[in-house]
Amino acid sequence: MIKINVTSVPVADQAKALDFYTKTLGFIKKTDVPVGEHRWLTVVSPAEQSGVELLLEPMAFEPARVYQKALKDAGIPWTSFEVDNLEEEYKRLTGLGVAFSVEPKEVGTVAIAVLDDTCGNNIQLTQML
Amino acid sequence: MTKSAKTFYELEVERFAKNHLLGEHLYVQIRQSKAFMDEYYSDPIDLETMASTACMSRFYFIRIFKQMYGITPRHYLRDVRMAKAKELLKSGLSVTEVCFDVGYESLPTFSSTFKQATGCSPKKYQKMNNGNLE
Repeated sequence: MIKINVTSVPVADQAKALDFYTKTLGFIKKTDVPVGEHRWLTVVSPAEQSGVELLLEPMAFEPARVYQKALKDAGIPWTSFEVDNLEEEYKRLTGLGVAFSVEPKEVGTVAIAVLDDTCGNNIQLTQML
Repeated sequence: MTKSAKTFYELEVERFAKNHLLGEHLYVQIRQSKAFMDEYYSDPIDLETMASTACMSRFYFIRIFKQMYGITPRHYLRDVRMAKAKELLKSGLSVTEVCFDVGYESLPTFSSTFKQATGCSPKKYQKMNNGNLE
């Protein structure tokens, strides 16, 4: 049987990204393995510590950097995370200084908001309504 | 952060919302049925009950729910129950207790549904997560 075990966000600075994704967003570090000059560095949701891992992938490929910047400039999220209560999470994160390019809004069956992960990506938060 | 001009993405979201969403009252009705399933997943819930919480006929309800969420209401209810079952199994409840607590009346049906949803039996899932309580 095939399973999704890892997905990734590209980051320019893995240490800085780990700080943001754990201390600000609230993920937990799962694996941290040296790989040459970089690290195989993953985080997981506290609610699903055996679930899909998010790889904080070092940005080491120029075309990917161009792609990442194009998405960022257009406000397009690199990926999306689910939260239980978007309004509460928005308040908590703005209190921590996180910048949002889209404030919470309802779109059909979901509420969405888009934040800047300080690592070069827009990240969408969603709450199923 | 002071907001500047809207991004391409924000404009696309607005365009989608304007041109492709269904009537607002339908979202209110369907969300009522979803909220009902979220709260009463542990009770036996039939299609008639689901549809009545949305004030719709059964067939219209199924069609609109699927159009909005991408899955049928029955599949949504199954997903809610399976998510809850995983939590309860991790908490140490027996498979039989979990089966009834998440609204199933038959252990074989619960076990096969759980296996289909997670790839392993409830017993195996509990064993795998025994030393890794989340």
